Amino acid sequence: MSANDVLDVLNVQRDDLTQPAKKKARSEAAPAPKSGISRELYNLIGANTPPILVNMGNNRMKDRKLRVSPWTKMPFVPNERAGKAPTLHHWEKGAKELLMETSKDKPYYFDKFVVSVDIPEMVDEELFNQFMVEIKERQKQMAQKFKTSLHNKVEAQKANPLGASSALTVKKEDAPTVVKEEPTKDDSVKEASGETPLVSSNGKEPTELADQQETEAENKPLEAIDAMDVDEEEASGPLPWTYEETKLLFEFCKNFELKWFVINDRFPLKYGRSLEDLKEQFYAMCLMIMTHKSIGNPSLIDSLKAFLKPAEIERKHYLLNLLKRTPSEIAEESLLVIEARRFEIAAKKMLMERANLLSLLDLPQAALSVQQYQSSQGLGNLYSQLMIMDKNQRKKSQQKVLQMASDPVPPPIPVAASSLHKRDFQTHLQQYLSGYLKQQPQRPEDSAIQQLLSKKLTAKEEEAYGLFYHANERINPGVILRSTQRLSGLQQRQSVFRAVNNMLQELDIPTAGGTAWKPNMPTRKTMAKYDELTKAVVALLEVKKVKDKLEAEIELIKSQRELR
Amino acid sequence: MSTNAGPVYAGDEINALVLDPGTYTTRIGYSGDDFPKTIVPSLYAKDEDNSIHFDASLDYAKTKRQVLPILKDSLIEDWEGAVAQYRHYFDDVLKVDYEEQPILITEPVWGTTEYRQKLIETFYEEFNFPALYLAKTPSCVSFQQGRLTCLVVDIGHDSVSVTPVVDGICLLRNLMKTHYAGLFLNDQIKDTLVSSFSKLDLSPTYKIKTKTAVEYPLAAQYVARDLPESITESYDQTQQRRIFTEAKELLLETPEKRLNSSNAQQAAAYKEELKKEENERTMEAPLGQVFNTCLERFAWADLLFDPASYPFKDQSLADKYLPNSGELSLSSPYDDYRPIKRARKGETGPATPTPAPDSADPNKIRGLSQLVNHAISNIDIDLRTAIASTIIVTGGSSMIPQLNDRLNAELLSANPALKIKIHASGTSLERTTQAWMGGSVLASLGTFHQMWVSKAEYEEAGAERILTQRFR
Repeated sequence: MSANDVLDVLNVQRDDLTQPAKKKARSEAAPAPKSGISRELYNLIGANTPPILVNMGNNRMKDRKLRVSPWTKMPFVPNERAGKAPTLHHWEKGAKELLMETSKDKPYYFDKFVVSVDIPEMVDEELFNQFMVEIKERQKQMAQKFKTSLHNKVEAQKANPLGASSALTVKKEDAPTVVKEEPTKDDSVKEASGETPLVSSNGKEPTELADQQETEAENKPLEAIDAMDVDEEEASGPLPWTYEETKLLFEFCKNFELKWFVINDRFPLKYGRSLEDLKEQFYAMCLMIMTHKSIGNPSLIDSLKAFLKPAEIERKHYLLNLLKRTPSEIAEESLLVIEARRFEIAAKKMLMERANLLSLLDLPQAALSVQQYQSSQGLGNLYSQLMIMDKNQRKKSQQKVLQMASDPVPPPIPVAASSLHKRDFQTHLQQYLSGYLKQQPQRPEDSAIQQLLSKKLTAKEEEAYGLFYHANERINPGVILRSTQRLSGLQQRQSVFRAVNNMLQELDIPTAGGTAWKPNMPTRKTMAKYDELTKAVVALLEVKKVKDKLEAEIELIKSQRELR
Repeated sequence: MSTNAGPVYAGDEINALVLDPGTYTTRIGYSGDDFPKTIVPSLYAKDEDNSIHFDASLDYAKTKRQVLPILKDSLIEDWEGAVAQYRHYFDDVLKVDYEEQPILITEPVWGTTEYRQKLIETFYEEFNFPALYLAKTPSCVSFQQGRLTCLVVDIGHDSVSVTPVVDGICLLRNLMKTHYAGLFLNDQIKDTLVSSFSKLDLSPTYKIKTKTAVEYPLAAQYVARDLPESITESYDQTQQRRIFTEAKELLLETPEKRLNSSNAQQAAAYKEELKKEENERTMEAPLGQVFNTCLERFAWADLLFDPASYPFKDQSLADKYLPNSGELSLSSPYDDYRPIKRARKGETGPATPTPAPDSADPNKIRGLSQLVNHAISNIDIDLRTAIASTIIVTGGSSMIPQLNDRLNAELLSANPALKIKIHASGTSLERTTQAWMGGSVLASLGTFHQMWVSKAEYEEAGAERILTQRFR
């Protein structure tokens, strides 16, 4: 039973046309003889071929299997140009003959990674000596400059005794903060210089360091300068760079690709040079050679010029001090950093708010030139702009007024209307409104009521007009009828109410009846009196209750005594 | 050229041999593998008739068979044995085709120029390799970890060494090395066992036929084996070494802080705290005596950090280990002669102090953390943060539990302003073979193949030039 049979039984219409003719042809072309379970399965699937491609044992796979790509063990010579390189062997894909053909004069694939740094060639001895004289001159100048800048700073501090003393006191108080400022700077400096030795930003460091120096204790710079003096004398005194040594240095720089730490590590001890000595000599010599041969880009030359050994040593001094901090100092510092950040955020917030406020003012931009308004067209534009702005502003103020009107607050009361003792109770809104009214005293739409209000009223008049100041009361929005007003005296328990009601009825005091028990005529005065009355009645009832209780107790005790 | 060498995986397998001779074991294998093919003890057996044997022969008790070490301090001492060993493993075990494979040999940083020259010449003469390369052990370790700027702390068998590595190149002048390592621990354990467990019989296993386990103070109950006459001392020593190795593996645990701190009261309190029953560990000696250790096992591990506090009781052992501050009066291969004139004092300026060998106090003893700390404080300030945040601890003796924690804690307290981070691979096999693995990585890189030095080049350029410029 095939799928077709099943479909016939189920009366399912089959559209032969939907099947592409091509597919059909193929399935017919490959009639795989099936047997057993697979045949049954195939019958069930029938012509409804699944969307995935089932490989029915085509020849393709066989073809692929047959075609194994050959791998050949091939000899190769890495970095052949250097000469004397060994012949090594590795496996390559492809037939031997083919590979022999193609790889004949091709260099080794990884040879392109054999690179070396670009360092100017060392010059001959004569030129070197000439250069050395120049270098010495220049170094002296630079060191002098550096020193004087330091001295000046120290002197400046000293010259201004008041400032200095105040600085000292400040230093004592703010010592941690002052010290704390440096580390972050130093770190960045260090990273900047540590990464790129040749094209480093060494040039910017001296100034930065000089700035930092101010923050250091006063005697420190002087000491440093003195130390530098000694250092310099030493450097320029007994052991000037010889031609051989410099040549060796250049060789090392090339061999170790300007990895200064390694160069310093490997440079013969007998010369006794420090890392800074090496850098100084190399950069200075490179500079001379480059300018002499007029090669190298100007930015590189500039950065070479900027290298200053004393500054570099100073920088390392500061770094060293930075690493000598104690844990408590570090903790303090991190606290300060957090605090500083908080300040920063607060300042940013304030700026934002100020900007918002400024934009609220909607000032016409005065920063622009006047020229564009000089033509008649420009003037017209300006006029229309101003009109629009004016309209906007008016709209805004109207909106404000509308908002006020929609607010369920009593009509604005001018300040003049309220007597002195009542002014204290004025709400902010009232104050604002009265101020607002004052600002526009001659508004044409001032109503008669407002005019009336602006006059000073006596207590009697107020009463006559039914004016009343709600001082401390909370007033709910919306209109309230006094008859539905909730009196404080009426907020009692149900049983108490009933007693109060009885009492009122006994006394023949008219109430509205029902559950409201309100006076028939709920004027403010009546309501107030009524409230007072209810409270009094409640208090009276309480007293009576207690009295009854006490009397009962007395009776009880008396009877007990009699019994005895 | 290899067409399939992708840009990311810059490998190009040439099946180079990688040889990593250590004082304790020697590792040999093929580059590109993740593990050496053979790890064998660096020993050879020499019979009466001067024949040399390896593998199982090392453990076979035979009349007048000597078992001799090949290396000392990671340097080959016994060249005859070394060549014989390498030939045995190259030919008989690995079946090396010399013509086709270059060889990469790891070397310690402290090898002298003469030693290195001899090493190269021996290999060119004895074996027919087309090319060879000498790689420094710390560089290899840094390659294995993939951290090219780091501080390699190698706690091995003969020596503890601390080497800064910058861009894969070792800094020779900042090298620190002491002998407070595995062998020192062995001798200390032996010293303690002999003195405080006087009834303990430390005879090695090969002497025993059968045994019964007994609690320590009781005498051992065992039946001795029939042994050939005149077993050599060296054989016996080698066999006995296993007891200490086992003790190190079983018992040692690093205490959190120094056991002998300057505050005597505190130290006593801490010792009391350690003397709990839960801290006790037992071990069975080869003869069946089961002994119990508690404070001793902590003290042994504490040795590496504080060797000065544990003097040997046996004078002969004490003479073997002179006080060692770890500073080497090493002349780099670039210094062909010592300075003639040292006109300038403080030869390096304040910012980059290189350890001056002559200024060091020869009696100062540096434990592990002092050693590392000293090495860190000697490095150029610009490099210090990078180095301190990548400290790689390797070597077999570094596997004592809690050793890294202790080291980290002590370094942190000594350098509060530095970010200290210790990297140590988790598996014990990696710790012992890290240098080999690094060599394997190096030798399988396509870009590395230009570094091989052929015999022809060696002869043409000369030993000095090759050693300073190629095998740097």
